[in-house]
Amino acid sequence: MTTKTETNFLEYRLTMGMTTMEGRGFYYPVDTAIGNNGNLYVISRSKEETTRGIRVTICTVDSEYFGNFGGYGEGDGQFVWPCCGATDSQGRFYLTDESLCRITVFDEVGNPLTHWGAKGSGDGELDTPSGIAFDSKDHCYVSDTYNNRVQKFTVSGRFLAVLGDQVLNLPWGVTSDSDDNVYVADWGNDRIQKFSPEGKHLAQFGESGDGDGQFRRPSSVAVDCDGYIYVADWGNERVQVLGPHGEFVAKLRGEATLSPWAENFLNINIEEAAARATANLDMQIDYPVKTPHEESAHIEKLFWSPVSVKLDKDGLLYVTETSRHRIQVYGRTTLDSTE
Amino acid sequence: MINQNTGLIAHLMRRAGFGARREQLDGLEAAGYEASVEQLLNPGEETRMEDYLVRRFHPELSSMMGPQSPGENWLYRMATTSSPLHEKMALFWHGIFATGYAKVIHGKALSDQIRMFRQRGMGSFRDLLLGLAQDPAMIIWLDNQDNHKDAINENFGRELLELFTMGVGSYGEDDIKECARAFTGWTIANREYMELRSQRDSDWPYGRISWHFQFNQEDHDDREKEFLGQRGCFNGEDVIDIICQQETTARFIARHLYSYFVADEPPVPEWPYNPPKDPEAIEQLVRVYFDSNYDISAVLRELFNSDFFRSQECWGTKVKSPVELVAGVLRLTGEFDRPRREILDRFSQASFMGQVLNNPPSVEGWHRGTDWLDTGTLVERVNFASQQIGDSDKPGVQAMIDRIGADIVRIGTPEGLIDACLDQIGAVIVDEKTRKVLVDFVAQSPKESNDDGRKQIAEALQMVASTQEFQRS
Repeated sequence: MTTKTETNFLEYRLTMGMTTMEGRGFYYPVDTAIGNNGNLYVISRSKEETTRGIRVTICTVDSEYFGNFGGYGEGDGQFVWPCCGATDSQGRFYLTDESLCRITVFDEVGNPLTHWGAKGSGDGELDTPSGIAFDSKDHCYVSDTYNNRVQKFTVSGRFLAVLGDQVLNLPWGVTSDSDDNVYVADWGNDRIQKFSPEGKHLAQFGESGDGDGQFRRPSSVAVDCDGYIYVADWGNERVQVLGPHGEFVAKLRGEATLSPWAENFLNINIEEAAARATANLDMQIDYPVKTPHEESAHIEKLFWSPVSVKLDKDGLLYVTETSRHRIQVYGRTTLDSTE
Repeated sequence: MINQNTGLIAHLMRRAGFGARREQLDGLEAAGYEASVEQLLNPGEETRMEDYLVRRFHPELSSMMGPQSPGENWLYRMATTSSPLHEKMALFWHGIFATGYAKVIHGKALSDQIRMFRQRGMGSFRDLLLGLAQDPAMIIWLDNQDNHKDAINENFGRELLELFTMGVGSYGEDDIKECARAFTGWTIANREYMELRSQRDSDWPYGRISWHFQFNQEDHDDREKEFLGQRGCFNGEDVIDIICQQETTARFIARHLYSYFVADEPPVPEWPYNPPKDPEAIEQLVRVYFDSNYDISAVLRELFNSDFFRSQECWGTKVKSPVELVAGVLRLTGEFDRPRREILDRFSQASFMGQVLNNPPSVEGWHRGTDWLDTGTLVERVNFASQQIGDSDKPGVQAMIDRIGADIVRIGTPEGLIDACLDQIGAVIVDEKTRKVLVDFVAQSPKESNDDGRKQIAEALQMVASTQEFQRS
């Protein structure tokens, strides 16, 4: 299925995944990293009382499933509060752990290699590491959430620099553009901040609110090769696109359909599929609390906790939704379809 | 020693909230008792741990799929809110309009019900009852989705009268049937799909979808009814109006409020056979209920300012419920200055003491008073309080130690140290026997030569938290 978004900048392509505590599926996914070979690493955070749901799933945009790795614990290759992931130029997968305050490194098929980082507030120390990204030179940027800064490391975890000290408030997602500039989802300040690779502050985009170009607790940011900035406007339950200079371009509220795994589930569970077929899942009602969160809770196709935005090398946008346990995929509208 | 004024404010804050830290009591004392009551009733814009922050670090507390999620979320709020009475009242209504996960199997629906209690629980009782009758969790809990025009289901109608508003003996079986007829067609949208997924505990494929109320006109019996002596083509709202007009309703709610805030009454099924402990107090509250057009805040104002509530004989006579105890300790320790994984443990500890939020044992809710205590739960309660208050790494405990330590020269004696600890921990009053045990403990464990006194203070605070008086409000 391909449909145009509200401003014809992006079009909906497909939905991936479904909720499963174990095995093929996701359980409170919090981020998706894209490997050099195009494989997706989907991080399932699970819920506090169900530690067996914690894992990383390897799959493709075509819903091919390769299995899971990792799990709850403090040993090598284990994690407690997995948050975000990224891959370096060698295809190694790096995962942040907000609870253990460390970065765990895996090979491209999920074998643990090492981990680095320790709790603290000094140079190279971390308090609740969340977002992670690499630039073209394999510098690693980590959102050091409760220290209100981003730190720059080598791939082996050697401290290089601090970015955004004193201007960030509980930063979350981080990414770099083709010039190695660094963009940070400045979560607590409801804005996106842009820094040079050396940490010089270059720009900030957005302000608090729910209007065009405004944000409510943005959690993730991605930048494409043309400089367009994609923001997971998490608190507003939407994705926004800004131009290279921060001007508003488009907003998406979500238009999920059944993923192949979801269709498979309903094909097997006939009674549930029959009941679902009679239901109106796009009902317009008066909400007891008029918030995007409440609307998303009632209408299944809408983004609900769109926590992460990632771009693959073909420019496809992957929006990971924690509360719906799935990924919606969008692509740039072709010139023909915008006419 | 705790003076009368401090003791009274501390009593108010324990009963109408979850207790107060010493520095909070200082501010309230300066404002005065009546002003403190008003501040509880009208606290202004609430501050608490922000929902976004909770959801960021606990993603499951956004969609609330699991059985524990609503309770964990609620505990965060109780532990950090600047509007404790609103949470206390939500807990009060949760105990009366008891709705549980065991049957509903939809965490967000239960959490939404608590939100409704928070929004309506201190306003008009009529609006609260209407919200209750239209609450999706309640509809499923008492089967009103199966209450049809041509085949009534009496469950909701019966409990509305028996357990929620009037009590046994003030209506007849025919009133129950007529009440049920008035609520036919009050159901939830997409009933078949939502009910099936709930029965199967199915989160597939994309997590749960929130429930919402739906009125099906074609399934509603709009013919004439006779209810509590009145005749008309009543719908649910009309029935609620009639219920609210009843003296028995006013007495029922007044007795519940008295039992919750003043002194334990026997379980509701015994009420028809046992008069209230203080009939005059009940009548005082009933008058305000009618004078204020069923305004719960007005009744609460009357109650908190009454002699029967303020009397020193009332202080420290109620056993804290497990959730009250846990929330109160968390407010003292300040443990949740940011989201932490320990919230699950704290929720579970209240469960081990006998109170699982959003999952009461039956439609009658929890029994109160000394029913909370048995050998196992008492050990859990004492261990919890002493372990938490004994953890000097927690910011609230550190602050208490700092304040006592800053005055340690003046305090001087074991008696002085115990009094300072009792004061810091929320102006707790203990009897002479307990105080002697505490003083002897301090006297027998003198300050070590290499200790600046903090360890001794921490141990004294831990001992104070272990007393029976700390378990009471």
